[in-house]
Amino acid sequence: MLRALLYLRLTSGQNWLLTRVRRLREPKYFAGAVARLASFWFFFFRHLVVSSPARRSLASAGPLTPDLQQLPLLFIMVPLGLISVIRIVAAWVAPERQPGLAFTEAEVAFLFPAPMTRRSLVNFKLLSSQVTILLSSVIFSLISNRGAALGGGNMLTHAIGWWLILSTFSLHTTAAAFTVARLIDGGVSRVQRQAIVIGVIVLFLGAVAYTIWWSAPPITPTEAANPWGVLQYGLRLGDTGVLHWILWPIRLLLAPFFAANTREFLLALGPALALLALHYAWVLRAETSFEESSIASAEKRGRLLEAIQSGKSLTQAHGLSQGSLKARRGPFPLRSTGGRPEIAFLWKNLLATPSFFRPRTFFAAVALIAVGTNWLRHGGGTSLGVLEFLGFFSLALGAYVLLLGPQFARQDLRGDLAHADILKTYPLRGWQVVLGELLTPAAILTALVWLFLLLTLLLSEAMPARLRLLLTPELRWAVGASLALVVPVVCLLQLMVPNAATLLFPSWARTNRVRDRGIDVMGQRLIFVAGQLLVVLFALVPVAIIGLLVWFAAHWFVGPLASTAITTVAVLAILLVEACLGLWWLGHRFEVFDLSSEAVK
Amino acid sequence: MISVEALTKRYGDFTAVRELSFAVQPGEVLGLVGPNGAGKTSTLRCLAGIIPANSGTVRIGNVVLADDPVGAKRQLAFFPDEPRLFDYLTVRQHLAFVARIYGVTNHEELAGPLLEELEIADKADQLPGELSRGMKQKLAIACGLLHAPKVIFFDEPLTGLDPLGIRRMKDSIRRRAQEGAAIVLSSHLLHLLEEVCSHVLILKKGEKLAHGTLGEVAAQFAQGETNVSLEEIFIRATGNTES
Repeated sequence: MLRALLYLRLTSGQNWLLTRVRRLREPKYFAGAVARLASFWFFFFRHLVVSSPARRSLASAGPLTPDLQQLPLLFIMVPLGLISVIRIVAAWVAPERQPGLAFTEAEVAFLFPAPMTRRSLVNFKLLSSQVTILLSSVIFSLISNRGAALGGGNMLTHAIGWWLILSTFSLHTTAAAFTVARLIDGGVSRVQRQAIVIGVIVLFLGAVAYTIWWSAPPITPTEAANPWGVLQYGLRLGDTGVLHWILWPIRLLLAPFFAANTREFLLALGPALALLALHYAWVLRAETSFEESSIASAEKRGRLLEAIQSGKSLTQAHGLSQGSLKARRGPFPLRSTGGRPEIAFLWKNLLATPSFFRPRTFFAAVALIAVGTNWLRHGGGTSLGVLEFLGFFSLALGAYVLLLGPQFARQDLRGDLAHADILKTYPLRGWQVVLGELLTPAAILTALVWLFLLLTLLLSEAMPARLRLLLTPELRWAVGASLALVVPVVCLLQLMVPNAATLLFPSWARTNRVRDRGIDVMGQRLIFVAGQLLVVLFALVPVAIIGLLVWFAAHWFVGPLASTAITTVAVLAILLVEACLGLWWLGHRFEVFDLSSEAVK
Repeated sequence: MISVEALTKRYGDFTAVRELSFAVQPGEVLGLVGPNGAGKTSTLRCLAGIIPANSGTVRIGNVVLADDPVGAKRQLAFFPDEPRLFDYLTVRQHLAFVARIYGVTNHEELAGPLLEELEIADKADQLPGELSRGMKQKLAIACGLLHAPKVIFFDEPLTGLDPLGIRRMKDSIRRRAQEGAAIVLSSHLLHLLEEVCSHVLILKKGEKLAHGTLGEVAAQFAQGETNVSLEEIFIRATGNTES
């Protein structure tokens, strides 16, 4: 029986690969594959072949400092470790109602009525999950091995280390789900189960406290001075007292990954494999009835794919597939007459966003920022360094939202493509529909950028003069107000790019939405982001140059404040002309847009 | 009310609709029939202004669709085969949204009786995901009828409906026609056409094979026989093959 299942998996894999290779004949997939392979080359492989001047100078500088050696540990292992801990705790505290193995609808239809044991099904799924785990191991090891000299071991030991970690983690969550189901079948209530898990967590925290109190080594001043040192101390602490024994299995599992050489790796491999085998045995022994929930989850996944293919964002699609959507009150009263019809689109698309994207949340955030920054500056005893950090962090976040936000805020034509037929029957010009559709993401992004801008401006009051670019408070606020006025139009212009891509290349946009795997699709996403940044650069750079020229020319005559106002008007005028032209063109594209002709092609 | 002259729609090299001409007067129900790929949906989508025609003229009322699409669309409603609803809007919110788009005054006064008539008044605060297929269809119809269209297009209106839903849909189409609307519907279900339509237009490969009242089209293909069913007429007209 297992041979038949292996045949299914291998043949499916082979056909998947063949389809991917064949579709490279289509330019959109070929371009995507080239872009993705190029990015792989630049990020992961180039340094193995080409010795760049920067790398040569790094190598000639001698061995890396311990701080740098901890970089991969801090940025990869610590976040992953935290996520793993959260997921393991969740698997015990709040698992799915019934344990479900991830079968597809076709597998449910063919395999469940087939004459095979439940154990064969479990083994089949565990083997199937190995495909993802093996791929993830290779990708993770490429990332963790990015700086060749960082950390111990080599590419192969890292890959095997990742495979052991991910496989054991996967088996542990499956076993946890099965065990919890057995407990429930045995009459253990949800509250009892959660009490047990919380009790275990409290015991663990108690052990940590006990260790720190009785046998923790003191933290040295060098360690306390920086985050790397604190991390080092945390690792030392984990090897002390009771914690040494509690964390022993985890240390066994991680040992092959962190092995410094082949000998250490081979010595660590045996115990880690034994731990993996124990988990496998646990899954088999804990095996319980999973069919019903597997059928339910297969149907849910089917609905999810259908929702994504019809144009929904991942969050919306999840809501639809889970059947967890709830009716909400309108974000504001919508009168049927006496207003622009475009506002109806803003109203409609805001309803599709989480309920915190509302004007009241924005005003609450403004109040919070005003009170919070005032406290930080005057009452919190906060150092200037922290204020500087917060100010720059806020500025960086604002820039991030402005530049990359349009890729995430998709409550526009990208989400409404499935309704294009209906939208086109409305008595509206194309540009009106497009403008209406763009209003929601533009409003959300504008509000977010405004908040970050406000935070930066308020924190800038406490910054040293060199960091305030020598601007007077009045001029700083004038520049801030000018930027605030320009931001909505910039957001609108930015959003036109992905929406134009949707109308010009709907099939590209569709494959970009669908959870399709493969380097070609990943590459297409890269092209989309790069294209957006390029077009925005093309639209904004001339405006910025003109703005600077106007400012410098005007400030000789009217002073900096008035020249800022004049510049704002000039820049806004140019941006508005660009936005109007863009809307007009996109509106025309929408009017002649025909999804069915795309299907025919 | 609807006037179509030499309508042509092409997708690349493929001609979906070729030089099609016909007219539908107020109170008439025209049934578009034809094998798969005959051009029924393309015709309807061109008439509703969803896709641009390559050539020809479509008049809705006295308005030429290509010259004044907004004016033409104010007078029409289009119902696709699958009700396309917004997942995050309740029944009531759908009506509020459509009322704003069409500028319907007192929409709440109009929506109440409409929801009552369509038997979805008790679902007013529910999302489409909570409605059955038939209920979704009714909501789509309520949205389409809110602005009292004079021209109505149905694409496969009975898809997915249960027997009771089919009965009500047929009644609804007849009622709108009696109230003076010009209606065009496409369907594979020939018995629907026999029961509801006053006129029929048979298409094949985008070309008009026959057009007229049911009696006229029957006479054209009856070959002297009496009591020939529409199914038999259809098979004779289309040559018993797909497009």
